[in-house]
Amino acid sequence: MDELILSYVPGTSPLHKLDPRTKLVALMVTSILVLQTATFPKLGLFAASFVLLAYLSGVGTGVFVRSIRPMLVFFTFIFLMHLFLTEGDPIFRIGVIRPTFEGLMAGTLITARFVLLILFASLLTATTRSTMITNGIERLLRSLPLKRIGLSSFDIATMMSLSIRFVPVLLDNARQIRYAQIARGLDIRHNIFRTASTTITPMIRESVSTADELATAMESRCYQGDFRTSLFELKMRAADWGVLCGIGGLAVLSYV
Amino acid sequence: MIHINNLSYRYPDGTLALDGVDMSIEKGEFVALIGKNGCGKTTLVRHLNALLTPTEGSISVFGMDTKNKSGVWNIRQTVGMVFQNPQTQFVGTTLEEDVAFGPENLTLPPNEIRKRVDRSLRKVGLLEYKTHAPKALSGGQMQRAAIAGVLAMEPECIVLDEVTSMLDPESRGNVLDTIQQLHQSGKTIIYVTQRIEEILPLADRIVSMNNGKIEFMGTPHKYLAYVESDIPAITNLMRKLKAKGFDVRDDVFAVDDAFLEIMKAWGMGKEVDGVDMLDGADKVNTDDG
Repeated sequence: MDELILSYVPGTSPLHKLDPRTKLVALMVTSILVLQTATFPKLGLFAASFVLLAYLSGVGTGVFVRSIRPMLVFFTFIFLMHLFLTEGDPIFRIGVIRPTFEGLMAGTLITARFVLLILFASLLTATTRSTMITNGIERLLRSLPLKRIGLSSFDIATMMSLSIRFVPVLLDNARQIRYAQIARGLDIRHNIFRTASTTITPMIRESVSTADELATAMESRCYQGDFRTSLFELKMRAADWGVLCGIGGLAVLSYV
Repeated sequence: MIHINNLSYRYPDGTLALDGVDMSIEKGEFVALIGKNGCGKTTLVRHLNALLTPTEGSISVFGMDTKNKSGVWNIRQTVGMVFQNPQTQFVGTTLEEDVAFGPENLTLPPNEIRKRVDRSLRKVGLLEYKTHAPKALSGGQMQRAAIAGVLAMEPECIVLDEVTSMLDPESRGNVLDTIQQLHQSGKTIIYVTQRIEEILPLADRIVSMNNGKIEFMGTPHKYLAYVESDIPAITNLMRKLKAKGFDVRDDVFAVDDAFLEIMKAWGMGKEVDGVDMLDGADKVNTDDG
């Protein structure tokens, strides 16, 4: 989870300078387009544009590799599912195991789509501070009638930034509880179910008391969910509108 | 300017935490609130910014009654509160975002927030760390960050609830220095603690609580004359000397004062003037540390 926060790479590239809203909208549209891509040449085009953008961002390859790594098992699973379960022309046959050429094509296409999705998303997180992403989402949500379901865009934004802030804290709590129990002779490998229950109960208690203290601190600093301002001002510049027009054009083109 | 009138508070589970507390705090005063765990000091200070409201009695904070719901935001802006645990009151993903949290809630414009954040961080000496993530900060730095977060709301009064209890000695010293500076700049300080020694040199007034009641209120010297156990080592030494017949005051807690008293009792007070004595005292002090 640390990587979620550390994935921001400070810089002054054109991508860093774009408004978070522009990048969020662009990412959404790009994701839809990538998911609808059915042919390899088109996918290649997206891959090429990713390479170009990654180069422009000045973010090292390592960041992107690290964003893919946790998903490798998932990707392999998806690929193998398609390879073995798609009907068609078999490549070879050993009993019921029967990979097909069609499966190979479908598997590659779908895996490549997912990889591209992750890569474009990590391009956003690598060039945008988490606060700015949160701010961007808040501003995009502000126009929606969330009040009707009892929420405000500010509540959602605060929840997001608190999650980013407190996930490492909670992980740390979990680690301390585990150490405390190892110190008192609990063998973690011995009985996984017992370990789970003895860890989860104090974890929940700890989290609730953390949440309670946090809520008190926030309340005493005048937190009210319905309206707040921000240290960081968001400003759409000409480049932002340019990018949005470009993305819009691309979306229209892909339907023609 | 805080007036507490006959305040009682009963928790929803029926425990009586405060029992008829009467007290006034003047503007610019430094009040230390001491007492055992569960004596009601935290419950009392939580009334000062309307986190809790009285079951009986009333509190007026700079003219505002805390029972009046519409004034709650003004009260919380006037009386800032810093808590014990550095981790659970740090809400931002970076230091400057955390300090900005209060002003953001007050819906100030971004340029004003920026000004206040930088000014507050400079006051607590953390300006250079402003883009640091919380895990890059020490406990003491996080507590000073919490103080900056409160300062950014420009309160009249700052309540500090056992803010040094989770810190190492060096961080504790830094936090106390910061608090002393705030007091000197004119802020009203209400400081809750269990460590009597850290607060005696700073406080104008000591308020000691027991079982939800105030049992003592007065200057640090008067407090030492009143209290029997849990006193600073220096005071203890002076008491023993006095019991042995030395003519010394037993309500002192600073090394320099104790040194002067002992020298005087020894009959050297008339020959050596006070300034020289203090030089000697300083030397004793550094030799100790």
